[in-house]
Amino acid sequence: MNKFMNWIDRRLPVSNFVKNHLSQYYAPKNFNFFYYFGALAIFIFILQIVTGIFLTINYKPDAAQAFASVEYIMRDVEWGWLIRYLHSTGASFFFIVIYLHMFRAMLYGSYKNPRELLWLFGMLIFVLLMAEAFMGYLLPWGQMSYWGAQVIISLFGAIPYFGESLALWIRGDYVISDATLNRFFAFHVIALPLLLFALIYLHLAALHTTGSNNPDGIEIKQNKNEDGIPKDGIPFHPYYTVKDIFGLSVFLLVFTFIVFFMPELGGFFLEKDNFVPADPLKTPEHIVPVWYFTPFYAILRAIPDKLGGVLAMGLAIFVLFLLPWIDRCSTKSIRYRSKTYKVLLSLFVISFISLGYIGMSAATPIMTWIGRFFTLIYFGFFVALYFTSVNEKTKEVPDRVTMHD
Amino acid sequence: MTDSKTPSNRRKFLRNITQVMGGVGGIFALIPFLSTMSPSEKAKSAGAPVEIDISSMTPGTYKVVEWRGKPVWVVRRTQDMIDNTLEDNEILSDPKSLEDHQPAYTQNKFRSIDPEFLVLVGVCTHLGCSPLYKPSSNSTELGIDWQGGFFCPCHGSKFDLSGRVHAAMPAPYNLEVPPHHFASNTKIIIGDDGDNI
Amino acid sequence: MIRLLTFVSILVTFNFAQAASNNIQLKPVLIDLNNKASLQRGAKIYVNNCLGCHTLKYQRYVKFIDHLSLTKEEIEKNLIFTTNKDGEQTKIGSLILNSVNTDTAIEAFGVVPPDLTLIARSRGSEWLYTFLTSFYEDDSRPLGVNNTLYPNVGMPHVLSWMEGLKKAQLSDKGQIIYAYKGSMTAEEYDSTIVDLVNFLVYVSEPAQLDRYRIGFWVIIFLSLFSFVAYLLKNEYWKDVK
Repeated sequence: MNKFMNWIDRRLPVSNFVKNHLSQYYAPKNFNFFYYFGALAIFIFILQIVTGIFLTINYKPDAAQAFASVEYIMRDVEWGWLIRYLHSTGASFFFIVIYLHMFRAMLYGSYKNPRELLWLFGMLIFVLLMAEAFMGYLLPWGQMSYWGAQVIISLFGAIPYFGESLALWIRGDYVISDATLNRFFAFHVIALPLLLFALIYLHLAALHTTGSNNPDGIEIKQNKNEDGIPKDGIPFHPYYTVKDIFGLSVFLLVFTFIVFFMPELGGFFLEKDNFVPADPLKTPEHIVPVWYFTPFYAILRAIPDKLGGVLAMGLAIFVLFLLPWIDRCSTKSIRYRSKTYKVLLSLFVISFISLGYIGMSAATPIMTWIGRFFTLIYFGFFVALYFTSVNEKTKEVPDRVTMHD
Repeated sequence: MTDSKTPSNRRKFLRNITQVMGGVGGIFALIPFLSTMSPSEKAKSAGAPVEIDISSMTPGTYKVVEWRGKPVWVVRRTQDMIDNTLEDNEILSDPKSLEDHQPAYTQNKFRSIDPEFLVLVGVCTHLGCSPLYKPSSNSTELGIDWQGGFFCPCHGSKFDLSGRVHAAMPAPYNLEVPPHHFASNTKIIIGDDGDNI
Repeated sequence: MIRLLTFVSILVTFNFAQAASNNIQLKPVLIDLNNKASLQRGAKIYVNNCLGCHTLKYQRYVKFIDHLSLTKEEIEKNLIFTTNKDGEQTKIGSLILNSVNTDTAIEAFGVVPPDLTLIARSRGSEWLYTFLTSFYEDDSRPLGVNNTLYPNVGMPHVLSWMEGLKKAQLSDKGQIIYAYKGSMTAEEYDSTIVDLVNFLVYVSEPAQLDRYRIGFWVIIFLSLFSFVAYLLKNEYWKDVK
């Protein structure tokens, strides 16, 4: 075995790689609950790729056959229903995990110097993931697939001068049609997954360059022992591999419970109207995007102007890219930051969840006004953060990490 | 930190049990994925047994039906054909049908349940062409020793009227006999053994 | 335990479903996919009364062998009444289709009768149950019937030979008055509709029969695995101070 590894290592640095990234990669020892979600996101990415491949084997990207081929997978293909539910539930859980992963970064300042690039790669992954989910949602070719895509693509039409031609170019037809389905299929199964794969690689490469942040926001590399090992670091393997195995098993417990016992989750994960084949002549009474888009959808609806709505929605995502430069406080972790930041972040979370709820509800006047209120808070968070974070009154950050259990 | 090179027994035990459980779970998780690639209900129903009505067949004629996308021949032999069927001969590669390319109930020199009715999958065992039915002997095309049988135009493999391959031919073994049974005197079901064992 | 989990998940689904409906109160209906006799009766009612217009085009007859505990012969004798163009009986492996002429259908009902394979997933069982028990006499409609849940529905009251036809108004004592009587009592009709809805819920997602059962074992396994993984994690983390 040793000889074999020597033979390999002279030709490919496998042992070195394992050392540098696992057995002698030192991660802070004080990771808490929120630090499970990075590993879980990678797990779901792999799950989506694998289930996706097996769905592609039986799916037909053809407007005349797509809906029936999904039902074929659900009934006639052995175990096809399980693969399909793993994929559909996986899509929703991808966003649950990613949102918690991003929230973790806001709690502990993981986007701050020196991790700005890490954050930017992460944000690009988030945007691509939204595109990936949106295009994937068209493929079952149900009523919600069809009309959801119709509404979102029409947004591009709001852009002055060339908007209408752009929307036409994206659809490849005057309405959502077979041509649209076919290109969305190509993007969903190959183009975007490849890009996502590359970005995830860069995200991890950047992470292993700077090392992980932690709930105390302390740079553990600044405090090393005589062997050059961070005093607050522990080898990723075995400590975090066993911890992540435990995290994964609990995650799977929740995940499979939904897959086997409530795959529709009362219409949140699989919408009722999507069990009706797409009909270009009949709009469903109530078009709602899937839950993970609804916060941004609510912002879109809050603005009483087509172009303004689209811009506000775009800005709501774009402003997140700028977070490392909006937040000017050098103390990273919320544990040592001011009360102001705690209040601001709480308001931000409340507004995000409320917008999510409003985006799902029918657009009554009262709901639109509540939506406007929370849109204001959403953007207000970034403005207030920019001004309050310059001279923020922070607590003293200790030299060494603290353990809470 | 304790030296991880000498783990405690408890640690070793827990590590082993986690590995075993993870492995077993992983294998169970593989089953659904691999199963999706086996024939679906649609393929199975398209490959369901087919019926063939033999009441109108006169001796010497043959009929082709499609079963699982392949041609299946039914030949009604004449008395001459039955009489001339070779028991054992060096021109045949596997005269006793020892190789397993027919159901046990057709392992005889006629390779059929009833000597009068031969049922064969019409696909050459060489590279999958469909051989031609050449019942008459002494054909100029196939040489004077031709006793009637099947001839594959792709690579020249010859089979006798029981579908047994001649020796030294590209085809490695006899034509396949599909599972079949007589539902009545006039009806053969192909693709189902029925009561035959 | 499996039944309990099934029940809980169905209950949760129903609560969401109910929250989504408006105006008319949907009537609750108890779905039991383990009741094979009910599913068999439902299948029979469907092929005799509904299949003439409404296909189940994503489902195959052959599935009833495993799912409804029927034999091939029973299905061919009791459930398959259609033929191919040569007059041979439809094969058991076929999809459940009919031979409705779309032009004639549009002339008669204004629409092509929709396929009903997935109706229980898009509408919900309570909607179906309420719809099928809400027909009443209405002379202003071309077919002489209307529906309280789905006003001006194009569908005739096909099951009126069983139920009879209710008048819109109740009697002074609050009882139902019939324009004409059917072959069944109100209770018999109600249980017939429950069977039919039960069947439609099954046919909308046959995987339900498997997923509750398999899910139970998956959860048991993962609970055990999580427990072991937790012990392992703690064992290693004893090192970390």
